[in-house]
Amino acid sequence: MTTTLGWRDEDVRGFGMAVGGPAKVLRPTTVEQVAEAFADVRARGGTIALRGAGCSYGDAATNAGGHVLDCTQMNSVLDFDPATGIAVVEPGATVRDLWRRSIAHGFWPKVVSGTMSVTMAGAAAMNIHGKNNYALGTFGDCVSWFDLLTPRGELVHCTRESDPELFHAAISGFGMLGCFTKLGLQTKRVHSGRLRVWGIVADDLDHNLRLIEELRSEADYLVSWLDLHAQGVALGRGLLHRADQLRPGEDPEGLCFFDPNLQDVPTKLFGLVPKGWLWPGMWCAVHLKQVAFVNWAKFRAGCREQKHSPYLQSHGAFHFLLDYVPNWQWMTKPGGLIQFQPFVPFAEASRVLRKIIERLQATGFVPYLGVLKRHRPDPFLMTHAVDGFSMAMDIAVSRNKHRREQLWKVCRELGDLVLDAGGRFYYAKDAVLLQSSFARVHGEPAVAKFRALKQRWDPDRLLQTDLSRRFGV
Amino acid sequence: MMLGPSGPHKAPLQTQHRRLLLLAMSRRSGTCIVVGASSGIGLSVARRLAVEGRKVAMISNREAELRAAAQTIDDALGRPAAFPYAHDVTDLDAAEALFARIEQELGQVDELHYLAGVMPEVALDEFDLAKDRLQVQVNMLGCIAFGNAAARRFLARKSGCIVGITSVAQDRGRLGRPVYNASKAGMDCYLEALRNRLWRHGVQVTTIRPGFVDTQMAKDVKGRKLPAAEAARLILRARDRRKPIAYVPGKWRLIMFVIRNIPSFLFRRMSI
Repeated sequence: MTTTLGWRDEDVRGFGMAVGGPAKVLRPTTVEQVAEAFADVRARGGTIALRGAGCSYGDAATNAGGHVLDCTQMNSVLDFDPATGIAVVEPGATVRDLWRRSIAHGFWPKVVSGTMSVTMAGAAAMNIHGKNNYALGTFGDCVSWFDLLTPRGELVHCTRESDPELFHAAISGFGMLGCFTKLGLQTKRVHSGRLRVWGIVADDLDHNLRLIEELRSEADYLVSWLDLHAQGVALGRGLLHRADQLRPGEDPEGLCFFDPNLQDVPTKLFGLVPKGWLWPGMWCAVHLKQVAFVNWAKFRAGCREQKHSPYLQSHGAFHFLLDYVPNWQWMTKPGGLIQFQPFVPFAEASRVLRKIIERLQATGFVPYLGVLKRHRPDPFLMTHAVDGFSMAMDIAVSRNKHRREQLWKVCRELGDLVLDAGGRFYYAKDAVLLQSSFARVHGEPAVAKFRALKQRWDPDRLLQTDLSRRFGV
Repeated sequence: MMLGPSGPHKAPLQTQHRRLLLLAMSRRSGTCIVVGASSGIGLSVARRLAVEGRKVAMISNREAELRAAAQTIDDALGRPAAFPYAHDVTDLDAAEALFARIEQELGQVDELHYLAGVMPEVALDEFDLAKDRLQVQVNMLGCIAFGNAAARRFLARKSGCIVGITSVAQDRGRLGRPVYNASKAGMDCYLEALRNRLWRHGVQVTTIRPGFVDTQMAKDVKGRKLPAAEAARLILRARDRRKPIAYVPGKWRLIMFVIRNIPSFLFRRMSI
C-alpha cells in the first residue's frame, strides 16, 4: 500500500547518539494527522514510536526499522489563564514555550527539567522530575487532565478522577498507551523573577547526602554536582546548589524580571563568544583525557562561589544548566554517551552510590558529569522515583566494540547492585537494562497491570519503541 | 557542620532595598496613571513604577488581563501597589471623569504615562475607515483626552510629568501603514505643543519614540527586538533625565535621522 502521508527516511537516535537507527518519520500538525498515521501504519502491520524533542538519552523514542511520529510541530500553548495559572498545551509545546508564556504573568512551571527543550507530551510520558522532586513531585503531579489518542483512534479525555488507572499509567507509561494530544497543566505562582541561590561545597559523598537531607525541609530546590574523578577521602565531593523562591516583597526588583527575554539563558560567553562554539573545546577535554582537570577547576570555582552566596539568579539561568552550552552532547562524538541514573532508597544510598563510583573508576569508565538529587515516591504506575537519592552519570561511549560491550556489562552489573538494594531506573535515561531487570524494578504485579492496560488500549501492539521491545512490554 | 553562609543571608537584598529607597525618596511620591497597562511596554512600565514605590492606576479595556496583572504586582511586592481601572480609551468623554475618580481614590496624580496603541494589519491596497478610525481614536484622541485632563491639573499645580509613547513610525509617512504613521505623528505633535505650553510652568512632557519592541503588537516583526522590560527601563530613564524626546533604544535616533532626510522623489520609490 502506498502512503500519502509523507513518511521520510531518517536516522533517529537518542539524545546520547549511542543508540537508535533508521526509521520512517512523520511530523503531524493536527490530531487528525496523528489518527491517520495510526490507521495507516496499523493497516500495514508496522509499529510506531512517539517522539517529542528527542531528549531521552537512550532508546525511549527510537524505533529502528519502524515508524516514528515526531510531535514537535504541534507546539502551541493553546491557553493560559493569568488568574489561576492553568495552561492548556499541545503535545509538542516545549518547557520553553510554557515558561515564556507563564512568566509574563508571574507563574513558573511546577516541574522543569535541566533543559528547556523537552516537550510536554514527552515530559508526561516519561514523568520527568526536576530539582524539586522531593518537594513537589514529578511532572505528572502537575498535570490536571489530558486528552489521549489511543492507537485504535479513540480520543479519551482523562482526569485523575475519571479514570485513575489510565491517568497514572499513561503518565509514566513511556508512550505505550497512546498519544497525548492536549494537556492541562497547573503552574505555580512566583513572587519574583529570581531565586535566591546558595553554592555549598560538599567534601565527600556522605557530606553531600547529609547536606541534602538536612536542607530538604526548608529549601525549594536542591541539586548537587559531583566531581566523580575525585578519589579516596574526597570521593563524591561536589557542589550543592540550593535555591529558594522569594516571598512577597522580599525582592521588589524581581518584578521587572517577569519578562521572558530576561529569563533566557545567555547565548554568548562574556557577551562575546557565541556559546555554539564551545563544544569543540569540550570535545578536546574529553578526548585528550582532561576531564579530571576540568572537574577540579569547577570544584575550585565552586569553593569561590560559596563565598559569594547567596546571590540572586533568574529562574531560567538556575534551572536550565544543560542549555548553557548548546549541543554539548557532541563533545562525546563519535561514540556518543549514555546516562546511567540509579535511584537508590535512602538507607542504602551511601553504600550503593559509593560502590558504583568506585567500580566505574576501577573499570576506567569515569563519568565526566555526575548529578545528585533527592526524590520521593509518587503514585504513577511505571514510576522511577523512590524515597531516596538518584545519581545521574554521563559516560562517554567508545567506538571500540569491545569497550562498548564492556561498558554495557559493567552498567548491568551495577544495575543488579541497585536493584538488590530496592532501587529503580528512569526510562528517559536508561539504555542498558534487560527485560529481567524491568520486572524487578516495578515488581511483577505492576508490570502485569501495565501489560494488561497495554493489551486493552493497544491490542495490536502498534506503539513500540526500542526500549519497549528491550523490556518486552 | 558547615552549611555555607546560611546566617545573615539577606545582605545583598538589603543593599538593594536601600538603593531603591534612595531612588524613591529622590522622586515624586504621588500616584501614577499608566494607560494601556495590561500587556507589553505598558505593563512593564507599570511594574517598574510599582517597584519604585509608587501607587499605579492601571488603565486598559481588557479587564480580566488587567486584574490578573495588577494582582501579580501586588503579590510580588507584598503590598497593594497596582490598582486596575477597566476603561476603553475610545470613550473619550469618560477620560476626565476617570482621572478625577483616580485622584479621589488614590490621591493626587503627578505622572501620566500614555502607552495605549493599536496597529492593525493593513494590506497595501486596503483603505478601511473602521480600522483607521480606531487607530486615530486610540493612538491620538485617547492621548489628547488624558493629556488634557492631566495638563489642566499639572498646570494649576505647576508640577507633574506626562510621558507619551509615540513611535519611530511617526517620522515619515510610509506605504505600509498610512494611518498608524499619521496618528502617531499627530500624537507626537500634540505632545510637543503640550511641552511648549507646560515646560515653562515646571511640568515635564517627554515623548518616547520606540523602535521594535518584543510585544504582541510587533509579533510578526522578524529580527532583533528590544525586550519590553528593557524598553520600560529606558523610558523611565528618559523621564528621570528630563529628556524632551527620547528614541528607545538610542540607535533609532541615527536611523530615523537618515530616513527623515531621504528626499521624497527617492522615498516614494522605495519600499521601506
